[in-house]
Amino acid sequence: MTAGSEEIVVSHLTKHYKKLRAVDNLSFTVHSGRVTGFLGPNGAGKTTTLRMMLGLVQPTAGTATFGGVRYADLDRPIRHVGAVLEASSAHKGRSGINHLRVICSAAGLPRQAADEALARVGLTPAAKRKFKGYSLGMKQRLGIAAALLGDPRVLILDEPANGLDPEGIRWMRDLLKALAAEGRTVLVSSHLLGEMQQLADDVVIIAAGQLIRQGPVDEVLGSMTGLSQVRVRTPQPAELAAALSEQQATVAALPDGALTVTGLDAAQVGHAAFKAGVELHELTGERADLEQVFLQLTAGKAGIR
Amino acid sequence: MNLVRAELLKIRTTNTWWIFGLIALPLWALTLLVNWASSSALLGMDPNEPGLDADQAEQTRVAAEAVNVATNLYTSGQFFGVLVVLLLAAIVVTNEFFHQTATTTFLVTPRREAVVLAKLAASVVLGLIFWLVTTLLNLALVPLILNALDVGVQLGEPAVWRAIGLNALAYALWAVLGVGAGVLIRSQIGATITLSTVYVIGFLGAATVFALLTPRIGDWFGNLQVLVPPLASQLMIAGTELPGNPPRWVGAVVLIGYALLAGGLGTWITKKRDIT
Repeated sequence: MTAGSEEIVVSHLTKHYKKLRAVDNLSFTVHSGRVTGFLGPNGAGKTTTLRMMLGLVQPTAGTATFGGVRYADLDRPIRHVGAVLEASSAHKGRSGINHLRVICSAAGLPRQAADEALARVGLTPAAKRKFKGYSLGMKQRLGIAAALLGDPRVLILDEPANGLDPEGIRWMRDLLKALAAEGRTVLVSSHLLGEMQQLADDVVIIAAGQLIRQGPVDEVLGSMTGLSQVRVRTPQPAELAAALSEQQATVAALPDGALTVTGLDAAQVGHAAFKAGVELHELTGERADLEQVFLQLTAGKAGIR
Repeated sequence: MNLVRAELLKIRTTNTWWIFGLIALPLWALTLLVNWASSSALLGMDPNEPGLDADQAEQTRVAAEAVNVATNLYTSGQFFGVLVVLLLAAIVVTNEFFHQTATTTFLVTPRREAVVLAKLAASVVLGLIFWLVTTLLNLALVPLILNALDVGVQLGEPAVWRAIGLNALAYALWAVLGVGAGVLIRSQIGATITLSTVYVIGFLGAATVFALLTPRIGDWFGNLQVLVPPLASQLMIAGTELPGNPPRWVGAVVLIGYALLAGGLGTWITKKRDIT
């Protein structure tokens, strides 16, 4: 593959079950060299979408391509795309290293790729232990080792942080960022929004099977000015509140004497204070976080369908 | 080839195969003892004994021929051996769903028909290993039994070797049936219980039904029992043509038919099904 050709393009992907439109005409693009968070409430269709992209579930309509090629048409696909879909997807009676060797054997990869991948996720000491003796975190690491076997340019992970302890989550974050920094395409689904805000460069947000928003995290957060607040401190709170109210901003007093302003950004608040001749001691823009934006965007679309 | 190797590696890296092997050994020993006892009884029987009608007398006479006594003994263990192979082959498939490894398997190889073919090939290899082990055990022990029965080892008879060869075919075909059944019944426990119950009860039940109804309905009905898979595979390994039974090749054709049906249906379903 040539550089830049590992983009994932999802185009009009649709899956209808008998009465349910699990995924409904979904289109988005995932860029290489970046970590893209794939977000949505439970039941939004994230897992179904990922499984359709990987040829495991037959779409009702639409396509997904990796560098222009459908997964099933890739030559030795795990050399192009590595995927971690379920934490518990190994035979309980088989050792971790043998699990990887089976995959190497089927994919025509050399045997030592298994040892290398196991070392990369720090599981070498547990190589010969049976899978049923692994903790949830070790299972996740084994899944990631399996995805890395073919040194793929694209990585897809479904809820990889599930079951990881704080140290494991940090390890995962560093690993995925490092993989993206090497120019790989990384798509991660999650409902841990705080974690995503630290990890993702781009986000794709879906709800009820439909695309809600996609783009760089900063852009998505910035687009929701209605949710951003400005914290301001002044010796003349009444005058400032009056000046801001003229501009349709909502002003609330905080117990410590500061004010929070909703509806204007920091520059607008500063300008209004300047024009009103009000002295300011503090002026801080507090942007909405991903969780607020997510809840706002998916309000009324979440839940059981 | 990579895929077949991977499937064999999957089998080798878990305990199932040798646990089933350990189960198969005493069952083989049991059938050998039963066959020894029945051969001894058969050889002591007088075909002209009063109470046997003409057909039964003829059947007894042919079954007591040295070559038929020998083939029966040299293929000892088939009844339970193919059952064990059937279950192991089914588990080769149901394992993937029970342990949720189907996702990984089909990510590595999106061409699902290739995966099913590899599973068929690996299961046939496994079936032939079971055949080989029981056959070697039989070749070691049966000459002693035949000598004790005063029959002679019979290893110069082509019919004996043909029966041993067809026994290998039976093990291979039951492995194919197992893979097909595993696709149809994805539940591990469900497949194991269903297959062993249907195999044993089906065999006994069918044998009883045919024994009861054939005299009333007619010989043509009795010939239909070859459609019952365990009876078909037993017919395949008879030493010579047995009176009152369809020819041996019919048993082979019936079993191959079932194997093709199970393998084909299994492949088709696996291709269509969503892996969730």
